[in-house]
Amino acid sequence: MIHLKTLNAAHIRLIAVHWSRHAVRGGAGLVYLMIALVFGLSVAHMVIMPVEQLMTVQERERGQVDPEAVRNMIITVGEPITQFVLGLRSVEEIAQQDTGHEQPNARNFVGPPQEATNDAGSESWTDFLLEDRPALLSAIFLLLLFGMPFAISFLAFNQVTGDIQSHGLRYLLLRTERGNIYFGRFLGTAAFSTAVTAVLIAIITLYLGLRIQIYPAAALAGWAIHGFLAVAILMLPYIAVCSIVSASVDSPFLSLVLAKLIIGGVLLFAFLGGLKWEAVKLVKYLLPWGWQNHLLHPEPSHWLAAGLACLLYTGVFLMLGYARFDTRDL
Amino acid sequence: MTHVVSINGLSKRFGRIQALDGVSFQVPAHSIFGLLGPNGAGKTTLFSIVANFLKANAGTVEVLGIDTRYISRLRGRLSILPQDAQFQRNVPILEQLAFFRLLAGRTKQQAREEVMHTLDMVGLQSVAKNRVTSLSHGMVKRLGVAQAFLGQPEVILLDEPTAGLDPANARQVRDLIKQLQQSAAIMVSSHNLAEIQELCDHVAILNRGRLVLTGSVDDITRAHRECYLGLSRELQDGELQRLRTIPGMRSIEKTTSRATDNNSQAAEYLVTFDLSGDGMDQDTVIAGLLGQILEMGVTPRKLTEGRSLENQFLELTGNATE
Repeated sequence: MIHLKTLNAAHIRLIAVHWSRHAVRGGAGLVYLMIALVFGLSVAHMVIMPVEQLMTVQERERGQVDPEAVRNMIITVGEPITQFVLGLRSVEEIAQQDTGHEQPNARNFVGPPQEATNDAGSESWTDFLLEDRPALLSAIFLLLLFGMPFAISFLAFNQVTGDIQSHGLRYLLLRTERGNIYFGRFLGTAAFSTAVTAVLIAIITLYLGLRIQIYPAAALAGWAIHGFLAVAILMLPYIAVCSIVSASVDSPFLSLVLAKLIIGGVLLFAFLGGLKWEAVKLVKYLLPWGWQNHLLHPEPSHWLAAGLACLLYTGVFLMLGYARFDTRDL
Repeated sequence: MTHVVSINGLSKRFGRIQALDGVSFQVPAHSIFGLLGPNGAGKTTLFSIVANFLKANAGTVEVLGIDTRYISRLRGRLSILPQDAQFQRNVPILEQLAFFRLLAGRTKQQAREEVMHTLDMVGLQSVAKNRVTSLSHGMVKRLGVAQAFLGQPEVILLDEPTAGLDPANARQVRDLIKQLQQSAAIMVSSHNLAEIQELCDHVAILNRGRLVLTGSVDDITRAHRECYLGLSRELQDGELQRLRTIPGMRSIEKTTSRATDNNSQAAEYLVTFDLSGDGMDQDTVIAGLLGQILEMGVTPRKLTEGRSLENQFLELTGNATE
């Protein structure tokens, strides 16, 4: 029986604040901070470095940088890659398009729903990301949306499991409800993850604005905020998955391994199974993998729906984890 | 309310192991209640169920008239020193304990003051800003006791509160427990039977998950009350026979292990009383015994409490080793 009526907002807030501070001191927060920054900045470096090289060449040969030419180059190079990442074109299709023969083929399995794969839709989405919005940021956001779910388990794997193992929770259990501990720690973890995401995206955006200087500041800032919200909200269901695992096992190491296996395994299973049976691809919808790129869709209805779906997944996962945590021996 | 804790038909199973099997007893208000049993008897499991850490397979627990399945209704009224629970390693002690008081609705200032006061009670005020990792085992144990004393709980569960403490600190904790008896009922589990006998007015003895005995210490030890008696010389057979006829005397036997002083003629006796008869009182029997001894021209040198509860415990639990 779930005792949601006994939840106490003040306790949840206190526990969330205490937990997010503890996350830094406890090591997991620092590890996640390092991993997120290293991953995010590596992704940014990978995307920005060719552009910087082009700008250096332009400056050496012409004496100045031509922002328009740089943006066009980014669009030309980035279009097929973006289409692949969005699941709009397969590698074979892109290769054949380049040589003038296009055949229908399997899409990238981390793709959007079917309706988005029509040419008009795909072009408008690609154009939106590469032409209407700062393309470099779009590319970085797409990679962050794919990679950050793997990193988040380093922060979220030990929400309660370590304290279950050490019995440290017993000092709290007579002072507040189990639900307050569970949801408070989830929120503390989410707050820490959001702060790290904000720092990461702020660094990248500032670098693009101050060093690369090929996009207007307002466009960069606006798209950075959208991307930050997309990554931050996408982390919630994955943190909630870690909450379930953390509440279900007594070993932090096992919790980390299981969280990784579930988050990565769903994707891998959908991919490998999908090669043989088309229906197996649907497994990816157990987690937000199947539609999370829609958080960067040009249509507000799409990214709003994607955001709401993230919250829905989060709610369902949280309730499953809470049901386990509330009824288990601690 | 005459009983602050009521345990009815409590059972708990871990896989194939029956940790508790239909345990029922009650803890009187304002008592210090001892929970005894050999290792694996189910003491910690019972405490954990009372505090709702563990879910019982059968039975109910009521604390202050409230079913502990609805533990939130007892917030602030019930506290526990859990066995083997660890504090957060990387958070200063003061901050950890103050956080507990913040959850009780105190302001930061109030929380810190209450914590410092409680830490002072257990002699840890000077290390309030340290981390747990810098404390000795005994200090961590006292810290656990301190957190159980925070606030004004009406029922306190202490799972082996003096384990690992040196004699001086153990004495300090026992004195604190006695002081708290004025305001709270306290349940104590301990391996130290002499300590339980000294501290507790009521006990329950568990063995292999079953309750084998419960009642007041006085009642339990009435039939086998013991004391050690040191005399200036050894008693003759006739004198011993005479002492055995005193009403309330069960036996008097010379001990071999205890010497009362360096006097080679001195002797020590283990005296066992049987106070189960109507109107039988330990003080009256002892007065009669000492009177007879003085009449024999023997000087009593020492009279100390025996191990009545321990003997009863060993008898009931099949001499299980602690």
